[in-house]
Amino acid sequence: MSFYIPIGPQHPVHPEPLLMKFKVEGEQVIDVEINVSYTHRGIEKGFEYRDYMKGIFLAERICGICNAAHTLCYTQNIEQLLGKEIPPRAKYLRLIVEELSRIHSHLLWLGLAAHQIGFETLFMYVWRDREKVLDLLETITGNRVVTAYNTIGGVRRDITPEIEQKIRKSLDYLEERTKYFKKVVMEEPTVLVRTQNVGILKPREAIELFAVGPVLRASGIKHDIRADDPYIAHDEVPFNVVTYDTCDVYARILVRVDEILECINMVRYSLDHLPSGEYRIRMPVIVRPPPGESVSRVEAPRGELLHYVRSDGSDKPYRYKVRTPTLANIPSTARMLTSRGDYIVYIADIPIIFGSIDPCLCCTGRVMFIDIEKSKSWVWTYNELVRYSLKRFERHD
Amino acid sequence: MNEEEIINILKEKFGDKIVECKIPMKRRVFVEVSKECYKDVVKFLLHDLDMKHVEAITGVDAKDHFEVIAHIGYGISVSVKVKISKDEPVIDSICDIARGVELYEREAYDLLGIVFKGNPNLKRFILPEDWPEGVYPLRKDYEAEHPKPLR
Repeated sequence: MSFYIPIGPQHPVHPEPLLMKFKVEGEQVIDVEINVSYTHRGIEKGFEYRDYMKGIFLAERICGICNAAHTLCYTQNIEQLLGKEIPPRAKYLRLIVEELSRIHSHLLWLGLAAHQIGFETLFMYVWRDREKVLDLLETITGNRVVTAYNTIGGVRRDITPEIEQKIRKSLDYLEERTKYFKKVVMEEPTVLVRTQNVGILKPREAIELFAVGPVLRASGIKHDIRADDPYIAHDEVPFNVVTYDTCDVYARILVRVDEILECINMVRYSLDHLPSGEYRIRMPVIVRPPPGESVSRVEAPRGELLHYVRSDGSDKPYRYKVRTPTLANIPSTARMLTSRGDYIVYIADIPIIFGSIDPCLCCTGRVMFIDIEKSKSWVWTYNELVRYSLKRFERHD
Repeated sequence: MNEEEIINILKEKFGDKIVECKIPMKRRVFVEVSKECYKDVVKFLLHDLDMKHVEAITGVDAKDHFEVIAHIGYGISVSVKVKISKDEPVIDSICDIARGVELYEREAYDLLGIVFKGNPNLKRFILPEDWPEGVYPLRKDYEAEHPKPLR
């Protein structure tokens, strides 16, 4: 006899708005239906109302953690439309910030994964060390999480020799800690029991269901946009594409931990070979790209990110399309969460299996405030938001 | 295989059904094909040319017609574009040759009202469950309300 168990949209297992309807027989999951429609914010429509410069800020807010990847993809896309090449120093600086935010994202995820299997000590350790990366990002860009670093034509700030020294020092610390985390993950029975042979995604399925990023690489497929379609300085900075072939959650953890080590080396290499010169080309505040279309791809921490833009010659994009990695990984997740043959999914494994794709729902459904009854949507001004929050505060005080 | 070879192979195979080809930059190819052979072109790219991966499906409201663009490939990105009329926004689904695109097609269906014939699960995906039928926010005739200053 089978039952349905809904998990979400609000659930302690996964603090993001998502509904998973599981069909279970006893302890075994036999089918799953995923609904991601709770956070649609209308961002694609929002791009059509903003000029290209304001679009940077909107792109930044598609996802808090991958903000560097989103602005990179956006600015790169607009530069491709304009036919502009950014200075070599800007390419390296973009790469440094991109890789630092990848370290940040992977560490954050490692902590959450530890939390999901009930290993709170590792969670605390990882999140403590993640502060180091946030401090670095703050030193370089001025902001801890939402970096606001990339702009059309280059980056907003340069780095000084003092900052460089600070980065190197923190990287040494992070490298040592990451090696320790890798040792913990590979030796600690708590982690091994909960992750090995859990959430299997075979290589053939990963290709057929169009999985991207670490999920694809943990299934043994060697694909990384940084290697296959190099952008910014990735054709000059060497790195290894990390793959593991056990196809389970354990492989996904190891792929991300090894990627942190690769990122550290890439940042070091970029600091050693940082070209001199300008860090941006000045662009007018209002840019009008010629009519045309462009596709830009970036390897975000969660996987391949695709932006598509069409210009009609005006100062606003005619159409802007974003395809985020979590959306691409949802069919594969449904596959991982379904028992088949000898492979059995237990209810207790749901959090870590779903967590293993590093889901980010705010980038998957993108939209604004929606008035469902009147079929209208609107955007709040800053003052309205402040007033609303004050009112709420009074009411619940 | 480089960008020009892909275009040459496609032209040889499909002849005048390929309307337009562009290589705007390295590793980017834009191909416009007629509606009838859209599925065949995607199938040919995925299986015969071994490009394996569909990255996304974009729907565009281009004022007098709709466009559906399938972005294909791991390294080189080939964008296959099809124009369809606004009176009958129907196109063949590629779900049966590429299983992972179901959600991409549902997204375009939800936001633009393009019907993908043959998609087994074509229903609401991104918009709220009680969003009114027949209102498609990404169409150009849909106007979102702009913020008003506070008084």
